Amino acid sequence: MSKTSQDISTNRTLQNQSYFKRIFTEVLTHWTARIGFGWIAILVIIAVFAPFLASSHPLLMSQQGQWSSPILAHLTPADATILAAFIAGLVLFFLKIRFLTKLAILLSVIFVSGLISSFTITPPELTIYEQYRENQSAQKYDWVVYAPVPYSPKDYLRDYGDTGLENPLADQDRTHWAGTEENGADVLSRMIHASRIALGIGFVATGIAMLIGIFIGGIMGYFSGVADMIGMRLVEIFEAIPTLFLLLTFVAFFGRSLYIMMIIIGITSWPGYARFVRAEFLRLREQEFVQSAIACGLPLRSILFRHILPNGIAPILVAASFGVASAILAEATLSFLGLGLVDDPSWGQMLNQAVQSATFNWWMAAFPGGAIFLTVFAYNLIGETMRDAIDPYVKKTTN
Amino acid sequence: MQAYILRRLMLMIPTLLGITIVVFAVMASSPGGISAQALIEGQNLEPQAKKALEDYYNRRYGLDQPAPIQYLRWINNISPIGFTLDKNHQIDGFSFFKGSDLGTSFRYGRPVLDIILERVPITLLLNIITIPIIYAIAISIGVRAATQRGRSFDIGSSVIMLGFWSIPTMLAGVLLIGFFASDQYWHWFPTSGLSTREALDMPFLPHWSSAFDIVILFVAMVAGTLISLYISQVYSAKIRMIFMALLGAGLGIAMGNALPGEHSIVVTLMLAILVAGIFAAIAYTDYQAFRSLSMALIGTIVGLIIAPLLMQGDYVRGFLFDRLWHLALPVICLSYGGFAFLTKLTRTAVLENLRADYARTARAKGVADELILWRHVFRNSLLPLITVSATLLPSLLAGSVIVESIFSIEGMGKLAIEAVKARDRELVLSITFVSGLLTLVSYLIADLCYAIADPRVSYE
Repeated sequence: MSKTSQDISTNRTLQNQSYFKRIFTEVLTHWTARIGFGWIAILVIIAVFAPFLASSHPLLMSQQGQWSSPILAHLTPADATILAAFIAGLVLFFLKIRFLTKLAILLSVIFVSGLISSFTITPPELTIYEQYRENQSAQKYDWVVYAPVPYSPKDYLRDYGDTGLENPLADQDRTHWAGTEENGADVLSRMIHASRIALGIGFVATGIAMLIGIFIGGIMGYFSGVADMIGMRLVEIFEAIPTLFLLLTFVAFFGRSLYIMMIIIGITSWPGYARFVRAEFLRLREQEFVQSAIACGLPLRSILFRHILPNGIAPILVAASFGVASAILAEATLSFLGLGLVDDPSWGQMLNQAVQSATFNWWMAAFPGGAIFLTVFAYNLIGETMRDAIDPYVKKTTN
Repeated sequence: MQAYILRRLMLMIPTLLGITIVVFAVMASSPGGISAQALIEGQNLEPQAKKALEDYYNRRYGLDQPAPIQYLRWINNISPIGFTLDKNHQIDGFSFFKGSDLGTSFRYGRPVLDIILERVPITLLLNIITIPIIYAIAISIGVRAATQRGRSFDIGSSVIMLGFWSIPTMLAGVLLIGFFASDQYWHWFPTSGLSTREALDMPFLPHWSSAFDIVILFVAMVAGTLISLYISQVYSAKIRMIFMALLGAGLGIAMGNALPGEHSIVVTLMLAILVAGIFAAIAYTDYQAFRSLSMALIGTIVGLIIAPLLMQGDYVRGFLFDRLWHLALPVICLSYGGFAFLTKLTRTAVLENLRADYARTARAKGVADELILWRHVFRNSLLPLITVSATLLPSLLAGSVIVESIFSIEGMGKLAIEAVKARDRELVLSITFVSGLLTLVSYLIADLCYAIADPRVSYE
């Protein structure tokens, strides 16, 4: 008896929430989605604080009574922008304002801080990683606080005369939790810094794909007729080209910048979203609330984006969750095939490194590959749970 | 029906045009684009040689023409109906029977058609072996998950399948090669290619020098299969698990000893426990078909491992066995990713049909559960699986790009990477064209199969 009354009361609270929020709370009750969100949260924190987690520059040190923090001097504009965006995002999360306003504020914070930091912050062009270790062994410092992983991703430990390819935890004096690669750089440190690329690619590429998909799919679904015909042919064309092949062509011909890669992955993966949005718009277009919105003479913009889109967003979010996973995989695949970023380590590029070396060193493959796997798995878990949550058929039968 | 097929075939033409336009536009609009300069860039040549080579490329492939003209020329070349050209690449007539020509590759200097005809069968071989494996495993797990809905098998299998789906193919490939093909660990499989050089001179089937060896091999194989099959069918879970765990532990210790270098007891023990655990888990499950099949397979493999220890004469591996031996790891890499998707699909389809009215009627009539499941429900659940088989092919084609480059198999995927890296206009366009065509044809075939499987669907 008490159970049913409780059910009714939870139902009532559920009904007071928006559809979007209801789905979200329902997703969060599943342990699989919690694990997924947990891993993503850890990854975000690692990515934001990467320079403080893995760096050869000491966090804080004292030289002849003078305190200094070399790590702050070596921060890049990108680091500063990411930190600013993270803090802004954290603050916005607890503010009670409309989601779109939040998004606009966040984007403007990113833009402004990126602009300011690129003009004001100029890290030293030449970084000498060895100097701290040499000074320390010459006892020039009073005390030094290093980062948890005291090696930068491009610190090849030349002062040790390292030949690289060291097993994890093989050396007693220096701890390399995940071993070192061929040139002697610490694998864990490279992985920590590469998490930024994975997250960035995932979010930005999916964002671009969603924007294009919603735009084209919305037009197709709402207007149908000729627009639908042309749009569907476009979708068909893009779906019939193997995505990976199109990506390869794009990257091979356009060069290998991170931003180009984000845009390219975005514009090659929109057809799926367009299909979903089209189906939703076709369905919702005939519903009474849309018909009455049209009858009220609301502007098209308002009908499309304030009335139809929020009601059809749930399946798109499911697709987006899987989309982030496949964007991360796409970047890893491109990097693995030797078409990825040149100067910065990414997880896929580290896998490629593992293949390129003459001997098989399991730690060079297993750790970055494992990181890709966990991240992709997390997004897939979230997507899967969300799909079950929005599927009225599954819900009806489990209750 | 014919009219429908014809219409679909005609509709392919604009789509294929669109596909090639997209890819050509990407190539043409890139910095450097498709020009003779970009082709010979990086080659250390003297200025005169450079000029000569540039002129040669321009003359031969018309690279100095504007991009739209280049594309129209390519289209004209590949379409069977079109303008005929004279020696100076000028239009001199119109023909309905001029035949299509995919052009000559920049990089290989050979007709593109020859190269593609060489590579396509290899990629198709990989995919044709993979698809039945994916279907067999996905159906056996998906049907079981549907009948066990909400229980631990259902939840466990769906999470594990999702996990499989999330493993990047490169990681699986690199680890499989590293552990099972490199001589640092177990050198069981070849690292690359599709056959060893000597295998090309071997007879097709394996040959043994003495008949006695064949008998031993046969007896060991059959004995291994029958014993484990018998145990899986007759004995209780506890005895099954003990038997399989012991077998697994033995295999694990053998694996530990097979490692090169000094033998570490810890590693051997861990291997023994790991293999024993996996085998015991297989023996534990009460999904009888799955258990019997895997245990029989394990028994056969153990028999095959033991038999050569007793054989005296030498044997020739044979072409077929060599090919299978080379295909094992690539096929594993290609197939595991498809399970998750298909399993989920099978599960939903079977669930939906299990709840359908006709299934309830059959149950009420007193038809046995097994019969309802396989005779009625399963047949109706096959429809979505057929439709999906079409979308499987493009993703497998993409997957074979990675697998082929990891295992250095000279298929379409590897060709695609080479073509794109070499900025080979003719090859890139033709590969796009061929893979697009394959994709579209597989969509069409799936639609036709759908009509055959479901009499309610007709395309008249």
